[in-house]
Amino acid sequence: MTALNGLLVVELCGERGQYMGKLMGDMGARVVKVEPPTGSPERNIGPFKDDKPNPNSSLYFWARNTSKESLTVDLESPEGICIVKKLLKKADVFLEDRDPGFLESLGLGYDVLKKTNKKLVMTSLTAFGQDGPYREYKSNDLVALAMGGIMHSCGYDDVPNSPPIRPSGGHGDFISAHYGLIGTMSALFYRDFTGVGQYLDVSAHEACSSTTEASIPTYLFLNKEVFRQTGRHQGATPTPKTLCETLDGKYIIVFQLFNNLNSWMSLVKWMSEKGMAKDLEDEKYKDMARHVTSNTEDSNHAFEVVRNFILNHTADEIYRGAQELKYPWGIVRSPEENLNDPHFLDDRGMFEDILHTEFGNEVTYKYAGRPYRFKGTPWNAFRPPLVGEHTISILKQDLEYSEQEIESLRLAEIIPTE
Amino acid sequence: MHPTGMEKLKELISISDVIVENFSSRVLEKWGLSYEDQKKIRPDIIYCSMSGFGHSGRDRDYVTWGPTAQALSGLTFMSGLPREESAGWGFSYMDHTGGFYGALAILMALKHRNSTGEGQHLDLSQVEVGIGMTGTSILDYTVNNRPFRREGMPPGNTAPDKNIAPHNSYRCKGKDRWCVIAVTNEEEWDALSKAINKPSWMNSKKFSTMESRYTNQSELDQHIETWTINKTPHEVMHHLQSFGVPAGAIQTPRERVEEDPQLKERNFLPAIKHEELGDTKVEAMPMKMSKTPWILKSASPLLSEHSAEIYMDLLGTSGEDFASFLEQGIA
Repeated sequence: MTALNGLLVVELCGERGQYMGKLMGDMGARVVKVEPPTGSPERNIGPFKDDKPNPNSSLYFWARNTSKESLTVDLESPEGICIVKKLLKKADVFLEDRDPGFLESLGLGYDVLKKTNKKLVMTSLTAFGQDGPYREYKSNDLVALAMGGIMHSCGYDDVPNSPPIRPSGGHGDFISAHYGLIGTMSALFYRDFTGVGQYLDVSAHEACSSTTEASIPTYLFLNKEVFRQTGRHQGATPTPKTLCETLDGKYIIVFQLFNNLNSWMSLVKWMSEKGMAKDLEDEKYKDMARHVTSNTEDSNHAFEVVRNFILNHTADEIYRGAQELKYPWGIVRSPEENLNDPHFLDDRGMFEDILHTEFGNEVTYKYAGRPYRFKGTPWNAFRPPLVGEHTISILKQDLEYSEQEIESLRLAEIIPTE
Repeated sequence: MHPTGMEKLKELISISDVIVENFSSRVLEKWGLSYEDQKKIRPDIIYCSMSGFGHSGRDRDYVTWGPTAQALSGLTFMSGLPREESAGWGFSYMDHTGGFYGALAILMALKHRNSTGEGQHLDLSQVEVGIGMTGTSILDYTVNNRPFRREGMPPGNTAPDKNIAPHNSYRCKGKDRWCVIAVTNEEEWDALSKAINKPSWMNSKKFSTMESRYTNQSELDQHIETWTINKTPHEVMHHLQSFGVPAGAIQTPRERVEEDPQLKERNFLPAIKHEELGDTKVEAMPMKMSKTPWILKSASPLLSEHSAEIYMDLLGTSGEDFASFLEQGIA
């Protein structure tokens, strides 16, 4: 049994929206990705398996398109549009991220679709929304992170002339897709009680703008603009640097040094056993840990002593030692370093071997797996589709096209010929 | 916890659809409120626990705050300039995103409950939610054996995964003001060329194809910056967008609150009265829903603002008992 068993989702999405379909597919919905005959453009984003560019070997695409079927049709032809329209009559959800007005121009706008399918939930995830002065503006992950204010908070305070930094990895797209799917799932919940779908106009710009934590409240309540600081929270006033280098050349994030008295005393004891506590046993630091006093100079000094302690130990020694004392410190890991952590790899099974039968019956590749563990209806992903892999089966089985009709679509190049 | 308080909490669970908590992993278990315990009180309960490392495994007792989860999952490392320390995230991104995944998991579990009548336990780990978003880097390692920790990475604001340029931040007029420009294809390059009146450097062979622009991007970026440096970020954006070039201002909080005409038009910061802070504004849900529009019911609650309502109306506690709970410090 899967959580989203029985749902049919049609996805016409690229970089911005494709993650919505993946998250639904991984939880059991049937997701049909509609692609042009040559494959969606996001199949051309690297890295590629064995560094050989090919629409079926983009690892970027693999990571964002598991558990989908691929239907290739030419949307520039009336017959191609007709195929998608037929599928949308049966669909529960339509996810799309095209420019405003594009689907209406094909006759696939919500007002048309709802006439033949009142239960359809249609989610349009666009750069700026369906209306407003920026409606036509072009955007992508970088522009979304800039306009939404996320970049303003990220970067360096000790690298001269450095720009704000976009966190890499596609987070403008992720944030937009996460919000888009929260809306979509809410609409499906409502539909369970009323039998009717609805239209969702989701804006990536607003999604990013609402994901900047204290930036807006700091402006509203303190009338201050936060500024970026290396490797830590933006500040309205400067805060001590929390990145600390380790003996093995890595970094630890030292968060909440003066957490509470017990933690502080056990930290100082640990440092003292190694002969590196210096003057941190002094009473004034205990008062800071009790949050009775605070003093920037003393706080900076304490950070320097701790920094020196950390520099004389490996990242793993500090991480595990501090966590034993209930300090929420972490190693600044590169993503692949979690494959060496037995908690995530072995105990939690966070990384999932997924079968890639196109390379041989037994071939599997290890993916970053489920972001949540459902105890009743487990996450269960299968490999992303090859370009057009399911076109014929969808036409035959779902839309009841005859062999003859399929052959004429092939001849007209509305579906791929081979 | 006071025995009467626990009794009332159990009464509340018995009439609830969802229990969501973000304590470290053994707290509810210690209170006698594990999923199995909750299920006895309310058979179809959906219990969403959001701890740092999950409710199983050798490190389940470790703890996280947003920055810890960002560091461990790889996200902090992925943000920065090559050869510098990590720039990381300037806020607790994983507090936002952990919450997004909690909401998604609960909504999916509710959908399942609507079909089957069954509840379940949703065991979330803040670090694992972060790891989930590093999928491409994980595959590059498991398939190609290429670590993200390597020369030239992280990539700053450039786009080595897409091999496109220009794709960067550019200095503008004003103190520490910046814009971004991302040209993704030939059509947009031609549009950029028109927008900046095709200066002579654009004729160079170095910039004639996407591939050559990518190879020579630091020189390309310098040329572009000579054009942006005398304009404000918004002047750059409006001008380039009018030619169809993806460009944006790196907006400050003040600009988003006071100036951004798009956010204003879409009512992104609706006004709300807060009992103690007075008239204020909060970020809206970033979407319009045609049948069930988002409604801002109230500002964040004051401590115990709704206790009387919940005890008396929902749980049927008498006024007398409620008064005595207050006196004893139970409520």
